[in-house]
Parts: sequence; C-alpha cells; structure tokens
Amino acid sequence: MNVDAVLEALRETLPSVALEPRTFPMDETLITLPPDCVHPAVGLLVERFDLRHLSTITGEDTGDEIALLYHFWDGRGLTLRTSLPREDARIATVTDLIPGATFYEREVSEMLGVVFDGHPNLHALLLPDDWEGEPPLRRQEERQ
Amino acid sequence: MNRMTIPIGPQHPALKEPLSFLLTVEGERIVESALRIGYVHRGLERIFQDRSYVQNVHVVERVCGICSHIHTTTYCQGVEALLGLEVPPRALYLRTLLCELERIHSHMLWLGVLAEHIGFTTIFMYAWRDREIVLDIMEELSGGRVAHAVNVLGGVRIDVNQEQAHSILGRLDELERQIETFLGVIQHERTFQARTRDVGHLSVEQVRRYCVVGPVARASGVDVDLRRDAPYAAYDRLDFRVITTQAGDVWARTVVRALESIESLRMCRQLLKGLPEGPLAARASRRVPPGEVVSRCEAPRGELVYYIRSDGSDRPARVKVRTPTLTTLITLPDQLRGINTADVPTVLSGVDLCIACADR
Repeated sequence: MNVDAVLEALRETLPSVALEPRTFPMDETLITLPPDCVHPAVGLLVERFDLRHLSTITGEDTGDEIALLYHFWDGRGLTLRTSLPREDARIATVTDLIPGATFYEREVSEMLGVVFDGHPNLHALLLPDDWEGEPPLRRQEERQ
Repeated sequence: MNRMTIPIGPQHPALKEPLSFLLTVEGERIVESALRIGYVHRGLERIFQDRSYVQNVHVVERVCGICSHIHTTTYCQGVEALLGLEVPPRALYLRTLLCELERIHSHMLWLGVLAEHIGFTTIFMYAWRDREIVLDIMEELSGGRVAHAVNVLGGVRIDVNQEQAHSILGRLDELERQIETFLGVIQHERTFQARTRDVGHLSVEQVRRYCVVGPVARASGVDVDLRRDAPYAAYDRLDFRVITTQAGDVWARTVVRALESIESLRMCRQLLKGLPEGPLAARASRRVPPGEVVSRCEAPRGELVYYIRSDGSDRPARVKVRTPTLTTLITLPDQLRGINTADVPTVLSGVDLCIACADR
C-alpha cells in the first residue's frame, strides 16, 4: 500500500477536511476524519485502492466522545479515526462496502451504544439477549 | 418439501465450545442458518482497563486456551513499541520458538478434531498422541502445557541450554515423520477425501469480502501471512515458505495446515541451531508514555490484532482484541447453505473455531 497515494486521493475527494496524518510505532498511519466522511473515505479505499482488509473497528469512550478507529491492513497499517458525540452516537454503516465489518459494528454497537445507520442486523453479538443497562464499555465515572 | 428448524447448541455433544445454531432444513438439505455466540463472553476488554500493564500479560494469556502464547506476544510487542524498548535477540528467538511450537500443537489438535468429526478415529488418536510431543517440549521449557507464561514485557523468562536444544531437535525429527504420515493419508486416502473434498467451499471473492485471515484464506489461494508480510519477533531471520492452495474446501485447509506444521518444524530447527547469546529481557518501566499502537501477529488461525492506547499511567486506557476466529465465523452461513446436514460438523471444524477467543 502506498500511503502517500491514499492521502493524496483522500485530499482530492474530501477537499474541506484536514486529514492530520500521524504515524504510530509498528508502521501504522492514522488519519482523522469527521463522521460523515468515513463512508466516502472507505468507499474510496475499496474502489480505487482495492483496500478491502478491515482488520477490525475499535470503539472507545474517551470521556468526552466516542472514538471509532477503522484499522485497515495491506502490507502496512492504515487507521481512520473519527469521533461521535456521546449523547447521539450514530454513523453510517460500512457493511455495504465491506461485508466483513458486520460483526465489528455489532460489537461496537452493543459495547458503546453506537448506532450504525443502514446495518442489516444490529442485534447483540456477545451480550445476552436479556442484557439491561448501560453499554458496558461506556465510562461510568472518572478513572482514578 | 416441508421446512423444519433445528436448534443446535449452545450445549451440544457435537460442539466442544458453546455456540448456538438455528438450522432451517428441507429434508437433509440446509436452506438457512443463524448463528449466536457470546456464551463465554468474560468482558476481558473491560478487565484490561483496571489492571496494570504487567498484570495484563497474565490476563491476555487467558483469552485463548489453545494459542495463549501468541496473545502475550502480540500484547507485549505492542507495549514494548510504546515504551520504545529494544528486545534482546535471544528473547526474540525464544518467543518465536514458542510461537511455532504452539502452531504445531494447534494444527495437530485441529486435525484430531476434524478426523473425529468425519469418523476417522485412527487419525484422531494418532494426531493427539503425537501432539503430546510438542506439549511435553513446551512443558519442559516453561512449566505449562497450555498457559506458558513465557513472555514478560521486554523479553522472556525462560532459557534453553545446549542439552535441551539437542533433545528437542531429536523429538522434532520424530514428529516430522508422523506428520508426513498424516499428510500421506490426507492426500491419498479416499475415505478422507470423500468427506472433505468440495465441502465448505470458500472462493477468493468470499475470503476478501469477509476479511477472512489465516490458513482458511490461504487454502482459498489468498497469499497472506504476517510472518512474511510484516515480520515481527525473529521471523525476518528465518527461511520458510507460505503454504497456499487453490481448492478452498475443507480438504485444502487440511493440506495447508499439515504443510504449515512441517514448515514450523523447519523454523524450530533454525531457531534452536541459530540461538544468539545474550540477555533474556530488557528492563521495562511500569509507566508507559502516552501513545497508540496497533500490534499484529500471525496466530495459528491467522491475523491477531491488538490495539493499545496509553494515557501515560501504569494502566492501559484501552486494549482492543480482534481474534482470527471472528473473521471465519462470519462465513459459516455461506458455507452451510445448500449442504447436507451430515456435513455440518465437517464445515464447523474445518474453519478451526475458537469460541473463547471470539467471545473474549
């Protein structure tokens, strides 16, 4: 995967967005996007770069927001990061582009209460059917 | 013909781990299937946030009861990258040695399970008998058959002396002869082929659509292996082949795993013969500077991913685990559609499910 070419194409397609690319140890590049740009960006990765291996989606409640990280891999890692408001955490599904994301989105949905619009079945993946209460990975109180 | 719905599991004699299926059948043919997991969900990702980095080495080892060592390897190398820690070469070699021994043990365990499911009890007995060779070696090296506690942050806590290396090399030769025998049965025995050929077929397109990883992907002709594509530990210093086949059925997965086990034996020999001298671990500080890392390893079932974020304290802010089984589970409804009910156990064992891994 040529990360520079991917960045160039994303800048062309989403001219209004500052991508703020950052690199992690172990050859990973991270790009920050607003929530409504995630679906078009994933579409671009799939169609133009044939980047179809989504390793997983990480969700995290940072206290101020719900962060979603889409980890792609093709020879090296590429992560798309977006953040959603805690009160109304919704985002468009990417399962229409990458059917393998079905389980990842279901897990983020039950663990953090994120709604993926357009997902074919957002039924709980790991939690029991009669689970009640807050999504378990939402922060209840400040960590000490 | 009348349609009928049959529930299988979560507790069922044919399944080793809890998993629930709702099969809709017309006569003997499966029309539709629905899958439910989560019966052994332990909330591990939540537990990681309340433990220190050091304590978490012991928790991640317990995500999986078969490939426990690869979990600590993936976790430790992620934390070591955040710490900017250089791991001594001897430690990397010993880590890799355990990774490959674990792959052989996992593949042989799987071969036994598949053989039992297709009614080939002889192979089941022999595969599990000979798997003991690997388990004995791992027990001698680490003190544990399944949970080895070999990795620590910064290196390993075990060592191999010349005498042990010599003894292990002899036993690996014995094991190779046995695996060659199994390979002969897989490739030439007609009853084995009759139960596994053209069963549970996955095309290249299906593999890519569902982001499938590991031996299942390689058996369908997708040439991916992190040991070669993004070398970690000591893999950049080893000579090995990545095994792929085109057939994409359960038989192809058996061939891939058997040949992979032989490649793993070759790697173990190279590691034992080329073991560099030096310390076993570097000193790791308890606090980890703020940062994020995505750590990937090739587990026996394929790409294992850990995302770790540090906020600068001695406990991780977030540890996310994606196990390879989650990617193969998603293909099961496709694989089961249209097949005969008698082939269900073959398909289920063919992908090598680890439910405890998937549920976490």
